[in-house]
Amino acid sequence: MSSFALTLYVLIWPAIAGAVMLTLCVSLWRDMRKAKREGTDLV
Amino acid sequence: MFQLSTFTVLLLLFCFYGLTFLVSLRVGRKDENVDGYMVSNNSIGFGMSAASMTATWIWAASFYAAASAGYKFGISGALHYGFWGALMILFIYPFGRRFRQLAPKAHTLAEIMHARHGRSSQMILAGSNIVGSLISLMVNFTAAGALVAVLSPLSFTHGVLIAGVGILTYTIWSGFRSSVLTDFGQLFAMIFAAVVIIPIIFFQLGGPEIFAQGMPRITPEQASFYSKTAILEQGAPYFVAVLAYAIGNQTIAQRLFAVREDLMKSTFVTATIGYASIVIGLGMLGFLALLAGIEPQDGDLNNLIPQMASTYLPPFAVGLFFIMVIGSLSSTADSDLSALSALVMTDVYGKNIAKGKPNPKTMLFVGRLTMVLATMLAMIFASMKLDILTMLIFVGALWGAIVFPVIASLYWQRITNAAFTSAAIAGFVMFLVARFELLQMQGAVALFFELCASIGGGVVIGLMAFGFFGKRVGFVMGGLAFLILAPFAFGFLRDYPVLLSSLTAYGVSTVVCVLVSLLANETFDFDCINERVVAFHHNVEPATEKGATPCPVSL
Repeated sequence: MSSFALTLYVLIWPAIAGAVMLTLCVSLWRDMRKAKREGTDLV
Repeated sequence: MFQLSTFTVLLLLFCFYGLTFLVSLRVGRKDENVDGYMVSNNSIGFGMSAASMTATWIWAASFYAAASAGYKFGISGALHYGFWGALMILFIYPFGRRFRQLAPKAHTLAEIMHARHGRSSQMILAGSNIVGSLISLMVNFTAAGALVAVLSPLSFTHGVLIAGVGILTYTIWSGFRSSVLTDFGQLFAMIFAAVVIIPIIFFQLGGPEIFAQGMPRITPEQASFYSKTAILEQGAPYFVAVLAYAIGNQTIAQRLFAVREDLMKSTFVTATIGYASIVIGLGMLGFLALLAGIEPQDGDLNNLIPQMASTYLPPFAVGLFFIMVIGSLSSTADSDLSALSALVMTDVYGKNIAKGKPNPKTMLFVGRLTMVLATMLAMIFASMKLDILTMLIFVGALWGAIVFPVIASLYWQRITNAAFTSAAIAGFVMFLVARFELLQMQGAVALFFELCASIGGGVVIGLMAFGFFGKRVGFVMGGLAFLILAPFAFGFLRDYPVLLSSLTAYGVSTVVCVLVSLLANETFDFDCINERVVAFHHNVEPATEKGATPCPVSL
């Protein structure tokens, strides 16, 4: 396996984790706005 | 090895737990609702619930064990730890939908078993859940003590005490709701640290150059994606445990009942991806250490990650690493406290002491008292440095033995309380015989256990296929798995007692459960579960006894 493929294999995981975090942050922001609009609790 | 100063460590811990406490105050209520204390409002949004599920499933041991697997087994090691661990979250999803459908207002899985079967089945499940959560709490406190001792001049006991008091302080008032709310921040800290730390260490070790230098140094097994050693010693036992840990863990069941029902799928899938990426990513540090020829300090693989962090990271990143581990263990420990309080409130006080007519105020007091006692016990056990592995073996075995009875009880009307109980006991006993080789694994005895294990293999594959694709595919896949596994298992599995015993627990419990159920002539109306499992708060009617007449329960 080439060095490039192995580098990708090692560094892809933090990149995916970052993408998941971004998705969760956007979703939380939407939930917070919705909760504020409707006067309900987040949890 | 680089160490943070006492002042820096105390400041980091004070900021972390102080900030977490302030966040938890946002959901504090003067008159807490008992149901909210255990499962929130049953309609938590996607972002919060997926973050909470991910943060809860990642504990301090996830980092150390993934890195150890990467170091021991090479290129595929971290995958064999993180991938199967992630699948534990995914595979509970289809069954979780069924649990929610049958009992939308449930607080614990054991409560559903009480409605389905009665007290003995409930207490087997609740008891194993309680012991499991207490062990998890103790492991997380131990990890806090070890981290503080390695990275600062403070002692192990200081770390245990600070973590125990810090976690209890922000969890005790609002229970599960505090746990979920603070999980988001803790996961954010974990991911941020992982995103920064992994690339820094990779490039500090030479970047892509490390592969050219390191790959020739490792064994062909470690360099192979298809390493047989990695599969048999890491992947397979973990794969077998996938369903057992998912069923046996109240922290996941609690989130299952808390998330908004239409968001379950996206929540579980995202948590699976989130867990896999963080844990496999950190496991890669073990693989990099192997390539760089790093020797773990004192020969202990658990030292690998702290050792790499303190050697290759600048001081600010060591601080980030410290917060990442504290965040991971705190998020799991607060979930364990919430799980323990829900189990004692519902299954011990609500169903058995109050006989289905609990006083909400007393119930809340019981929950908070449970948290205090559990924290004290876990801190004491952590200080005694007990043999955690042995305890985990016993709890894991019991979980393996109850997977089939729990799942089948919620799909097949003929499973009886006697079948559930006898299956759990038989599976557990046979596990002990195989795991500790109480009988000599030779000749007919070994063949018998290998047959049971092959059935267990079929059951695991069959249940997984059943969850996602239904009964017919489940039976076909389970049957095929048995037929394919059996010829390989005979004469071979006896040399792998961990795998043999785990599969035996599944196989024996399934056979006993089915046979004992077929001998009886009982059928159960699943609608009764919803009648018996209801909210506790402001519940005037004695909830559990309401449907007792039309829905027979064997005790």
